[in-house]
Amino acid sequence: MELGFTLAVFGGALAVVLGGIGSAIGVGLAGQASSGVMSEDPEKFGSYLLLVALPGTQGIYGFLSAFLVMLNLGLVGGPLKSPTLYQGWQLLIACLPVAVAGLVSGIHQGKVCASGVYMVAKQPKDLMKPVIMAALVETYAVLGLLITILLLNGINL
Amino acid sequence: MAIAEVQKVQILAHAGVKMEILSTLQEEGLVQIERANVEELELESSSHEVSHLEHRLHRLSSALVYLSRWEEKGFAKKLFAQKPQIDRQTREEILDFDSLPVLDKIEKLEAEKNELLSEIKFFEKEEQFLNPLEGLELPLRSLKPTDSTEILLGSLPISQEEALKDLAEKEAIWFEVINRGKRIIYLFLVYAKGEKDRFEQILKDLNFVHLYFTENMLNMADEKDRVKDVMEKIQGEIQEKERRLEKLEKEGQDLFIHREKLMLLHDVLLSERAKIFSSGLLGETDRVFYMEGWIRSSDAEKLESKLKSCTDAIEVYSRDPLPEEEPPVILKNPRPGKPFELVTKLYGLPQRGSFDPTLPMAPFFFLFVGLCVSEAGYGLLAALLSLLLIKFAKPKGGLLQFLKLFTLLGISTAFLGALIGGWFGFPIRSLMVLDPLQDPLSFLILALVLGFVQVWFGTLLNMINGIKNKLYLESIFAQGGWLLLLPALVIYLQTKQSIWGILSLAGAAGIVFFGSPSRNPFARFFGGLYSLYGISRYLADVLSYSRLLALGLATSVIAMVVNTLCQTALGIPWVGWLLAALIFIGGHLFNLGISFLGGFVHSMRLQFVEFFSKFFKSGGKPFSPFEFESKFVEFI
Repeated sequence: MELGFTLAVFGGALAVVLGGIGSAIGVGLAGQASSGVMSEDPEKFGSYLLLVALPGTQGIYGFLSAFLVMLNLGLVGGPLKSPTLYQGWQLLIACLPVAVAGLVSGIHQGKVCASGVYMVAKQPKDLMKPVIMAALVETYAVLGLLITILLLNGINL
Repeated sequence: MAIAEVQKVQILAHAGVKMEILSTLQEEGLVQIERANVEELELESSSHEVSHLEHRLHRLSSALVYLSRWEEKGFAKKLFAQKPQIDRQTREEILDFDSLPVLDKIEKLEAEKNELLSEIKFFEKEEQFLNPLEGLELPLRSLKPTDSTEILLGSLPISQEEALKDLAEKEAIWFEVINRGKRIIYLFLVYAKGEKDRFEQILKDLNFVHLYFTENMLNMADEKDRVKDVMEKIQGEIQEKERRLEKLEKEGQDLFIHREKLMLLHDVLLSERAKIFSSGLLGETDRVFYMEGWIRSSDAEKLESKLKSCTDAIEVYSRDPLPEEEPPVILKNPRPGKPFELVTKLYGLPQRGSFDPTLPMAPFFFLFVGLCVSEAGYGLLAALLSLLLIKFAKPKGGLLQFLKLFTLLGISTAFLGALIGGWFGFPIRSLMVLDPLQDPLSFLILALVLGFVQVWFGTLLNMINGIKNKLYLESIFAQGGWLLLLPALVIYLQTKQSIWGILSLAGAAGIVFFGSPSRNPFARFFGGLYSLYGISRYLADVLSYSRLLALGLATSVIAMVVNTLCQTALGIPWVGWLLAALIFIGGHLFNLGISFLGGFVHSMRLQFVEFFSKFFKSGGKPFSPFEFESKFVEFI
């Protein structure tokens, strides 16, 4: 009983940590690129900020999934539940799609955004094009989130 | 569909009125001038020398950069700043404004300022150098070698002090410490000249560094002046120069009143330059000039009458574009659809023979952003903010269209948010038709159904387009096959009624036999089979719409998280309510930002990748009429 609960908490933590790592690396990559470009051209801070912020969503998706796990366990706003060992494993596994997809897609989205920053530096009018490119990468984080939400929703304690 | 008709306009007029005609064209802003085919018509190219204007524009813009320092600052001021509006009369009057004295003055002020700044830097360096030597109580000028002794100043690492002391006890050398730093000491040192070379070598081994007063310091020092006095003099100089800088600053600020005139002149010259550039596109002989360009068909008559009222010596012809010509594209949509042109333009303008996808796309985009954000509170807030900005900041052009688009999307979000979401994280159950958190599967089915409808609609548009371009067989049977197969297959899988199965097979047959353009029957059959495999793409396309559910859920869950955090914060004694208020406002603003960004971007992707790819070919050139160019003011 206790172990089930621990496993579920571990799942939530994984979602936050892996999604967060992906976003942190991604935002870091784009941030470095934009700071470099801004040293030449400080005017376009707003456009760059958009591109730098984009890979940040994976971390938010992870956070959101962890919150759903906490809701499920009654850690937020309800009486504490006690999942069985199997249910604990189920909750942990349900967190994996968002965690792993977030980790990898965050890093790659960061790379796309970094090159987007270079593109905007030369073609300031085409801001939305690299944003759409980045969204193509993010799709897989969104799909991971979707499955995680559906799985978490399906596991009733 | 929704592309304005464009005509080619050709103008032939007397060379004497060339500039006048160009001015009129610029004022009207109706024509996109094209390069005249000079060789074919055996005409000369017009000259277009602009270097003198370039030079003046450069001076004006650097003067404006200088003056912009006294501009009123503040975010709100910038946001709501209106460009001054300039009418024709002011525009002509400004050319009489003699800007040269002001420009000269500004340039002089700037040069003087730079010189003062570099002088101040120089004096500050000298002061820094003298600072450790302040304790030296001898006049600067007296520090000269005598017949028998060498006198010098220098620094020594503190670790070598003992060694020097030992040396001073034994040899004909004497020193005094002026100042002790952390790692080095500053010395005043005297030794007998007789053994100069030997002493120099010894001092060098001790890492002794000579310090010399600069020419400037010696010049500034009077006969009796010690280091302290010279430093005072230097500080006096610095202060004096700083006072002069302040005065220059004041003089610069006095020139600020000319700023508006300079801005105006800058923009008038900018437009003048554009005019001269455009004149380079014309062809001419000694007596006449010839130009051609593109114009909206509906404007052609207006242009002709305008030009005819300028001069009699002019002929204006207009004709429809030839098949081999590529006219620029002007999108023409009714008012509610106009803001959505932004989305189309982002992807690219339609090619010749394609059509404007704005109207078919708009309702889907409208709905999808609403579903992705699905939060009534955020929608109302976004719509309200955009409306306020439109009302008070009076934006123009692209920004205005963007804000209008945002208002519409806000309304959609508010509406859908009331039905399936909440109000700042608090659902009002009586309004809701579906709670995605309780019943995500229904929402998923809704998203997939919407996706199916859009993908099917895209295929329908492709068929219509094909029929218009006279590709009858392929369009009706292959595209029509998809249109039949997709819904029939879905219904068959649901109901298992054989009639739907037969219909699906009929659709599939159409695709297999007409899906490939090849004439060889085998290649045609297998090519057709391969295009039937495209059904996996349709499946993937429809599944892609599941992101609507994910993004919609993300918004509501984050809103819920914010509210839960607020509740926790309320439990803290004394400052709880304040913390809760901060978390509420900050959290919801953050969520609004990322939700709209995500909703906007992902809805756009659905249009571009899933919808447009079915039927739309971009590659048209935008229509960019010859008109006034301006940076600071607005010509009316």
